[in-house]
Amino acid sequence: MASKIQSVSAPREPAPVMSTSSTILNMREKEKYIEDFEFPFCDESSKYEKVAKIGQGTFGEVFKARARNSSKKFVAMKKVLMDNEKEGFPITALREIKILQLLKHENVVNLIEICRTKATLHNKYRSTFYLVFDFCEHDLAGLLSNVNVKFSLGEIKRVMQQLLNGLYYIHSNKILHRDMKAANVLITKNGVLKLADFGLARAFSVAKSGQANKYTNRVVTLWYRPPELLLGDRNYGPPVDMWGAGCIMAEMWTRSPIMQGPTEQQQLILISQLCGSCTPDVWPGVESLDLYNKMELPKGQKRKVKERLKPYVKDPYGCDLLDKLLQLDPAKRYDADTALNHDFFWTDPMPCDLASMLAQHTQSMFEYLAPPRRPGHLRHHHHVPGVQPKPAQPTQDSGYQDRVF
Amino acid sequence: MPYWYYDKKDLQNTPSFRDGIPNETENRYRKEGARFIIDTGSKMDLGYNTVATGVVYFHRFYMFHSFRTFPRYITACCCLFLAGKVEETPKKCKDIIKVAKSLLTEMKFSTFGEDPKEEVMTLERILLQTIKFDLQVEHPYGCLLKYAKCLKGDKAKLQKMVQMAWTFVNDSLCTTLCLQWEPEVIAVALMFLAGKLSKFEVMDWNGRTPKHTAWWDMFVEDITMELLEDICHQVLDLYSPQTQPSGGDSPPETTASRAPKNDKKPSVTPPTSVSPVAVTKVAAPAITPVKNGSDLKLEPPKIDMRFTYPGYPTMPAYPPVYTAPPPSIPPPNRLPIPQGPPPPLRYAEPPPAPSRFPPVNVPPPNYFGPPLPTRGPLPPRGPIPPGPLPPRPYYPPP
Repeated sequence: MASKIQSVSAPREPAPVMSTSSTILNMREKEKYIEDFEFPFCDESSKYEKVAKIGQGTFGEVFKARARNSSKKFVAMKKVLMDNEKEGFPITALREIKILQLLKHENVVNLIEICRTKATLHNKYRSTFYLVFDFCEHDLAGLLSNVNVKFSLGEIKRVMQQLLNGLYYIHSNKILHRDMKAANVLITKNGVLKLADFGLARAFSVAKSGQANKYTNRVVTLWYRPPELLLGDRNYGPPVDMWGAGCIMAEMWTRSPIMQGPTEQQQLILISQLCGSCTPDVWPGVESLDLYNKMELPKGQKRKVKERLKPYVKDPYGCDLLDKLLQLDPAKRYDADTALNHDFFWTDPMPCDLASMLAQHTQSMFEYLAPPRRPGHLRHHHHVPGVQPKPAQPTQDSGYQDRVF
Repeated sequence: MPYWYYDKKDLQNTPSFRDGIPNETENRYRKEGARFIIDTGSKMDLGYNTVATGVVYFHRFYMFHSFRTFPRYITACCCLFLAGKVEETPKKCKDIIKVAKSLLTEMKFSTFGEDPKEEVMTLERILLQTIKFDLQVEHPYGCLLKYAKCLKGDKAKLQKMVQMAWTFVNDSLCTTLCLQWEPEVIAVALMFLAGKLSKFEVMDWNGRTPKHTAWWDMFVEDITMELLEDICHQVLDLYSPQTQPSGGDSPPETTASRAPKNDKKPSVTPPTSVSPVAVTKVAAPAITPVKNGSDLKLEPPKIDMRFTYPGYPTMPAYPPVYTAPPPSIPPPNRLPIPQGPPPPLRYAEPPPAPSRFPPVNVPPPNYFGPPLPTRGPLPPRGPIPPGPLPPRPYYPPP
């Protein structure tokens, strides 16, 4: 270590001169400098030891790792993929970092630090970066895919209460998550829920009159994508996350995503079959969305949210809250605050801690590691038999050229 | 988060100084780099926030590296490139380089190496590590507007004063003030200076309490007149001939005038000295139906917040370093800060809300303002939950 410091201050000879021949030498000197410089604010990733790959994030792989200085401290390391970046450090990763630095809350995943690999000749003096998070043992998709994990009504309430609490916090801070899904909801072994993967998140502003926002609508994993995005809305807000919260809540009982459309068109049809037709009657203004006339919208569909979910959910308060979250019209959809005040959370059985239930399961459960879940428990009229549907991921832009700000 | 404020002693003992670059030369490099970011950013229609963020990255970078190791203009490009992405106004790297090339002499551009884009890419990683991914930077502009809304007095004069303060804030980017003081302190000081020069007497302000001896007491505690004047002079010094570029290009020092090499280990720990000024985060005082000052439309678009350097035909900004030799500069205004009519300063006086500029980039909404508190306690409802709800701790952002 000490030798590094010395080599930094070792005289560099000859002094840089402005000529082509010495530029090369200068370059080598610089490489040496980069290799030896100890960035005081950015530790080397070798302080952690990778244990297993546990997932694939929006912009890179995720590993479980152990701190070398403590055998008990585990972290999740998310690699920042930069191989195909024409524009340097991805703007999506910069956003995620900026947002995670702002958000500090019990129900939001905690970013500990950003680490780097050492710059060497081997990597052409370009470090790889990792976002380092507190490790969470499970994700909700992994838990739901395991039939041995059984949630009581009180435990489901606790999960949803924490999820809404996290959403309340991020929305209050003017952040949209934009990728709500069970796999992005982490749960520690102590039963604390953490919203994760802010790779698609962005700050939002309340549109001033006459000045609509123009956000990309190519966000949110298809099965959790709300109708306004499917219809091309670019001036959306927190309700997009609330729709996802509704989908996740239903999944707590159905154990698999409730609407597994293979295409955007099919997803809209599935939504209409569950929530009724998208008409200006139930959703004033829907007719002015860009794709309203371009997508096939089933007509005359009745709303059947409660009817179709009752066999799974049973609890009438739960059915009612689901009905309020799965509203077609984003303006009518409950926000996190209203949802938290719903009787569902304030009637017996009250929300109860998950820790004791989770204590029976010593194995980490992640969707990435779990066998594929059985396709939808909710029978879909348009379900293609024999085809294991895969949720279309939100557009994975390699840069920002594709993004709309 | 790292502590980004330094005292004057630290600002003299920089990596560049330890690398043999005299302080005056380093200050000139900093000024030239900052000016270059401003010019490049303005030419690319980038907003003031993006430009200012880039400049702050630039100043912070050179608290850890020497100008001899990293030539200033390519670092400047890299800072602007990163700031563009962080402030959601991204520009393609190759476009920034193209503009840079058009603004620089061939000699200066040669420091970009054979593959300028690759150089910027490599440098970006070094920059990110150096600034600890501390990407979100606040600037004095927002404070100016907030403060101005509270001041009472002649509307037109207030408007003029704010425009002048805005220009001073632009110019302050060429100093190391952003490494010394929080944006609130800089805003107060430069508004104070603009008030003196434009003869806008602040007689009263909204939110005044008997404790306040001056309007800024409402926003920044314990600010002394000495400190205010020191900050003002750091900006005013920009306009004095001594600190004007001595003319000619100055590639990174080669052999000339090497200061004795100081091999002291770089001090990377933040100085223990902490800003003596406690910034009071006052939510803009609940403004009662407003008279005078606060009904002013102090929305940025009405103010010329574009950088004024390119120079107006009749009121040149202080000379563009890269294109022309410096014109003769009037003697500097030294202490005391003039009370009378505005002296013949050569900073560009902000023009009255010009419409000659392309659409001005309005400041973005404060996406990353201080986080709101977590949800308050839920109203007591129904049966008491078994056991208390786990606390929902709120950690203020670093």
